[in-house]
Amino acid sequence: MKSQIPASLRNPVKFRMPTADNLVPIRLDIEIDGQRFKDAFTWNPSDPDSEVVVFAKRTVKDLKLPLAFVTQIAQSIQSQLTEFRSYEGQDMYVGEKIVPIKLDLRVNHTLIRDQFLWDLNNMESDPEEFARTFCTDMGIEDPEVGPAIAFAIREQLYKIAVQNVTSIKEMKISKKARRGPEYASASKSGVAAVDLVKLFGHRSSVIRKRKEWDVYEPIVDILSNEEVEESAVIIA
Amino acid sequence: MDSNNQNQDNHQQNLKSMVPADESQLDLYTIPISSGWFLWDSIHETERRALKEFFDGSSFTRAPRVYKEYRDFMISKYREDPSRKLTFTEVRKSLVGDVSLLRKVFNLLENWGLINFNVMLSEDDKTAVEGGNSKLRVEEGAPAGVRVVAMPNSLKPLSVPPPPAAGVGVIDYGFRLPHLASYSDVYGDLMKEKELLCGNCKEKCDSSKYYECTKENYKVCGKCFENGKFGENKSVDDFKLNDPAENKGNHGATWTEAETLLLLESVLKHGDDWELVALNVQTKTKHECISRLIELPFGELMLGHRAKFSQGSTTSDATVVQEKLTSGEPQEIIKTEDDCHDQMVDRGQNKEAEDQTPQLKKKRLSLDSDGSMMKQVARISAMVGPRVMAAAADAAVLELCDGNPFVRDIFNVEDDTSANELRPGNLNTDLERAFQPEDSEMMEVPTSSEAGGAPPEKVTIPLSLRMRAGVATALGAAAAHARLLADQEEREIELLMATVIETQLKKLRCKIRHFEDLEIIMDMEHAQIEELKESIIAERMDVLQKIVNGGIPRWRDNTFVKPQTNAQSAMTGDESRSKEQLAAVFEFSKFSTETLLVRKESDVNGNFKKQKKEVKQPRIERKTS
Repeated sequence: MKSQIPASLRNPVKFRMPTADNLVPIRLDIEIDGQRFKDAFTWNPSDPDSEVVVFAKRTVKDLKLPLAFVTQIAQSIQSQLTEFRSYEGQDMYVGEKIVPIKLDLRVNHTLIRDQFLWDLNNMESDPEEFARTFCTDMGIEDPEVGPAIAFAIREQLYKIAVQNVTSIKEMKISKKARRGPEYASASKSGVAAVDLVKLFGHRSSVIRKRKEWDVYEPIVDILSNEEVEESAVIIA
Repeated sequence: MDSNNQNQDNHQQNLKSMVPADESQLDLYTIPISSGWFLWDSIHETERRALKEFFDGSSFTRAPRVYKEYRDFMISKYREDPSRKLTFTEVRKSLVGDVSLLRKVFNLLENWGLINFNVMLSEDDKTAVEGGNSKLRVEEGAPAGVRVVAMPNSLKPLSVPPPPAAGVGVIDYGFRLPHLASYSDVYGDLMKEKELLCGNCKEKCDSSKYYECTKENYKVCGKCFENGKFGENKSVDDFKLNDPAENKGNHGATWTEAETLLLLESVLKHGDDWELVALNVQTKTKHECISRLIELPFGELMLGHRAKFSQGSTTSDATVVQEKLTSGEPQEIIKTEDDCHDQMVDRGQNKEAEDQTPQLKKKRLSLDSDGSMMKQVARISAMVGPRVMAAAADAAVLELCDGNPFVRDIFNVEDDTSANELRPGNLNTDLERAFQPEDSEMMEVPTSSEAGGAPPEKVTIPLSLRMRAGVATALGAAAAHARLLADQEEREIELLMATVIETQLKKLRCKIRHFEDLEIIMDMEHAQIEELKESIIAERMDVLQKIVNGGIPRWRDNTFVKPQTNAQSAMTGDESRSKEQLAAVFEFSKFSTETLLVRKESDVNGNFKKQKKEVKQPRIERKTS
């Protein structure tokens, strides 16, 4: 089975988000005159850039922010988009790579800790759908939690994809792709991918051992107001 | 069904603990019939098609073996407690692998009902209600789906206010219907179209027609399409018309009660002019209206009414009664059904029905939906006793109260009237009276209140509730009647059984007597044979005596020679005693012949010589010793 070269290795994928929708996670954190604006959302990089300013204007208007924010927001989005586009066109040897995604975030009063595996090679994956399921399954009612989870997943996937691209570039420069890609190259690229042979080999079962279940079990905590304030202080 | 399943599970658990090896053979879980392809040992084509990535060999992390492990684990996990909904989040913590892929497997199994099958029903109920509420929100701004129109029938009571918007009806009656609603209705809400947003004008498509872009998930409402606003990068060719009139599968299945009511009213008004009816109903197409009306339990009757009873022959007994009513002649009604209730009741009922004709005909017409139902209830109540019917009604109301607090309020407030409405007793007492002709005017009063169903003060009870109470009562009464019949049947069977057993006993006794007779005969024969034997022996003795007296016959020579040879052989041993022995032998041979004769032996001819020898030899030995 190992002798088979996976299709993705033979046909290297050009850089993109390793999900069904090629949406870029955008994070805004802008402070002007003591007023801080934080936000996170996704952006379709194939949308025309003129939309960015329109979006910024509308956001400012909706949130009743000072006009100074418009340019800041537009610039921030634009620069993040540019960064994303700079990777486009490069090869992304995703290969056989399944990465652990770890969630540890607080949205309003909800605290979420979770970890699971994500296949970078699965271009049909849908973080938003996953987040929705997560919320219904865990009985989370806060409507902001789902998008936050999806965003967190996207952000991590984006980071890993970028690391992939850069490591491959470095490798090409140093070795001129002497031996071609192999699994080791993936694990060298910074984020520790899981040992696929160990997990999916003939010896092991894909069913986790019972004692590991707790490790991979999602934890959802609803915090009280005081706790939220406390954690806010810590973060600050 | 759940508890049943639980039992099966428990049973299976027991079996499992005894025979842990082969669990697939002991499967007693319920899965939908469409998923019959599922086998523990193999992967079916359906699975291969749905999850190609596991079977194209593109990666060793997605091998058939891995799929099977995922699948088996999920199903086993679900079956640990089939009454509980298994969530994806719960499953994924136990499985190694890409969560998106796991999600896909999970969805496949759920769609096929291999997991979360039993819990589906309750979940769907919940979503059905939610859907009803959201529907209200959707239709809030829409033009009123129902208009109050002047009915041709001015006697129509305004007790059934046509809800101004379908959504209001939903909120009024939108509680769970599991007790009496069919599941197709419950599922129906799920199948309804989601709220459609026009991709261009971003508004809700109020007309149900819309155009769907074949390239992307992009929809445009009819208005925008006609104005040529397709959105960016799209042309006319990319769109295809999506008219719910054509694909009624996902839209037409749902009929709210308000819509049904509207349909019925429209049918009453327009008859079988379905174009007009559909126009009046607005939210449904012609075909849906027709099929809905056919589906309704009293649809046939309604049509019969409208068509001036043009239907030639119907199987429904109720229709027959109706036809007779129009003729207005008090004649005996030919019974079309093989009735189980006795004829007297039947006759009484017909009589009563005839009597109420003039007053009730119009009222029944106006009561469109529940009139026929009430009539059926009345019919059933005529079959069972008044007490049974009252009990059934009570049970029905109680059950309805259980289902929803609103109902309880309604029935508590209107306790008297509802009791009156649901009291079948007066109908039955009427029946008794019906045999006395002089009372025939009196009975019209109670019957009209009974079959008429809704005196004006009862208008506050929603139609649906009345219908449900009526249906429940009817069912209860029918069940009671069925119970009665079953009891009777049981008694009959018992009686028959007793007869059978008695007959069997009789048969056995006869046989025994025969055997005794036979025994007596046998005894007699035995005695005869004994007698015969004795006489034969006596005869033989006589013969032998004669032979002995008459001298030694020729065959005696042989016997005489043999002892001689014996004696000679003995003599060779001892010369001295030979003479003495010889003499003894002589003497003995004579004697032995006689003793043999005395011993009554049956074989006179064959064995005689041999026996003589056998007897003789020990004698010789004794002599010699």
